[in-house]
Amino acid sequence: MLAVLKKELLTYFTTSIGYIFMGVFLLISGILFTMGNIFGMNSDYPSFLGGLIMIFLLVVPLLTMKTYSEESKLKTDQLLMTAPQSTAGIVAGKFLAAASLFLLTLIITGLYPLFLSFHARLDTAQIIGTYIGFFFLGASFISIGVYISSLTDSQAGAAILTFCVLIITWIIDFIGSVMPVTPLSGVVFALILTALAALWMYNATKTPLAAAIPVVFGLIIIGAVYLINQDLYINLIGKTLSWFSLTKRFSNFPLGILKLDAVIYYLSFSGFFLFLTTQRIEKQRWS
Amino acid sequence: MIKAIDLTKRYGKHTAVNKINFEIAKGEIIGFLGPNGAGKSTTMNMISGYFAPTDGKILVDGEDILDDPEKTRGKIGYLPEHPPLYMDMTVKEYLKFAGQLKKIKPADLKGDIDRITDLVKITDVRGRLIKNLSKGYRQRVGMAQALLGNPQLLILDEPTVGLDPKQIIEIRNLIKDLSDDHTIILSSHILPEISAVCDRVLIINKGEIVASDTPENLAENLAGMHKLHLQVKGDEEKIRKALDTLDVLKDVTVQSAREEGVMSVLVEAGKDADIREDVFYALAKKKCPILQMRPMDMSLEEIFLNLTTVEGGAN
Repeated sequence: MLAVLKKELLTYFTTSIGYIFMGVFLLISGILFTMGNIFGMNSDYPSFLGGLIMIFLLVVPLLTMKTYSEESKLKTDQLLMTAPQSTAGIVAGKFLAAASLFLLTLIITGLYPLFLSFHARLDTAQIIGTYIGFFFLGASFISIGVYISSLTDSQAGAAILTFCVLIITWIIDFIGSVMPVTPLSGVVFALILTALAALWMYNATKTPLAAAIPVVFGLIIIGAVYLINQDLYINLIGKTLSWFSLTKRFSNFPLGILKLDAVIYYLSFSGFFLFLTTQRIEKQRWS
Repeated sequence: MIKAIDLTKRYGKHTAVNKINFEIAKGEIIGFLGPNGAGKSTTMNMISGYFAPTDGKILVDGEDILDDPEKTRGKIGYLPEHPPLYMDMTVKEYLKFAGQLKKIKPADLKGDIDRITDLVKITDVRGRLIKNLSKGYRQRVGMAQALLGNPQLLILDEPTVGLDPKQIIEIRNLIKDLSDDHTIILSSHILPEISAVCDRVLIINKGEIVASDTPENLAENLAGMHKLHLQVKGDEEKIRKALDTLDVLKDVTVQSAREEGVMSVLVEAGKDADIREDVFYALAKKKCPILQMRPMDMSLEEIFLNLTTVEGGAN
């Protein structure tokens, strides 16, 4: 893991990717900070930092597009996969390298509040809290990017797809708010999910019997819940979509509230995507 | 050291390797030989742990490689068909990374890199970016990567591709030197290379092993004929008449040679018949002096073509 981490960090700086990522992020954030906070004489740093997420979202694909797609394209994955290393360790190394570069960039932006502190009184704890939130949110974005990079051997494809998925997580609350809220729509949604589970099961095992298991269990659970507490189906679509809303959980950090559940959410979100990546790569051995 | 039992790899409906069985003893050099797409690389990828077999298993030192893949992979040095090189790294950075991946102790790593770069003769390019190296150098960097950590088993997929004749001989000698304390599997489509280096050859075609023997035995058993190539002074009719008296001969072809008045003659006898003396006396009697006599063993090329095309046609 450590070897991969070191190598990835090295490649960020021997190729131009690392410089472009840091340069673009720092340039845009610097312009926004100068215009908004210095010229605008605004000392509300946490909300500035919150706004930076959108900029970060734009540059995440740069950070992650190469992680795995380039390895499989140039067949260097043969070196990694035949080395005495666990796949999970390799994935973790790659993720941590991207996260470290991101952390380094965030630390540099720490100069901004330092400048502000000469002119205004700042709530240090609040700012640190926002940074913590930003870092965990960013790590979740990176984990999505790493996963998508393992799906394709085209860097450009990985970058575009990552960008689209991140935009969707950004607007997912909005999508959820326009979804129908009736119990019936909730039931239909649950049925669709069951069908998808069955389809996935069939794809993985190629036996109709295995596909029948999620169908039977799904129908029983849907039916039982409907009889016991119909209200659970109200706005089910919106509620489900909000599980994937990364930005909603960030909103507390700029207010100075450090919520453990949000941190755990981000960590498990990243962990889940890294797990998917590991599975995906491990699966290539078997296909 | 390695045992493959009913080893099979299928990609969807396509069967790349079909139930092959082989065993490789410690210290042996085995050559995989076969036309493109025969399943050589797939088999090597399975032994190295890059692919998992669809069916069957591979035992390394008696242990299934899927039981403890990381431990088994640590015993293997692998040079794939396309050397897995990071173009944006220098040779030194690359080898350092490969060594760390292989969990070589930092204290040993520097010495190991020095020793191996010396061995494959890339010391002078250590500071250069891999993308700026020629194909021959890249191949040798890949080779160096495989040798790092001194693994017991080396798997080399076409190790001499892209090298010039001098480098090929160097690599060949290197492989021979390594064979003292390593087990080596190599594949090649350059047949003399296999016969020059390997103790045993596995000929693979369409995912199946069609022959497995020493290069010499393969040549002997499969030739099936004892062939002589002669340069004889005299005209065609006289020579034919002389040779017709010999019953053991199965086939005689006579062609005019480059030299005037000299015929180039190819005689074939049944297996194990030594016809050299008979041919000499028969021609001497007719006063047709033999200027040159050369036994013609079937080359590995011919055997290879024979096996793969005949088998291919039969399927």
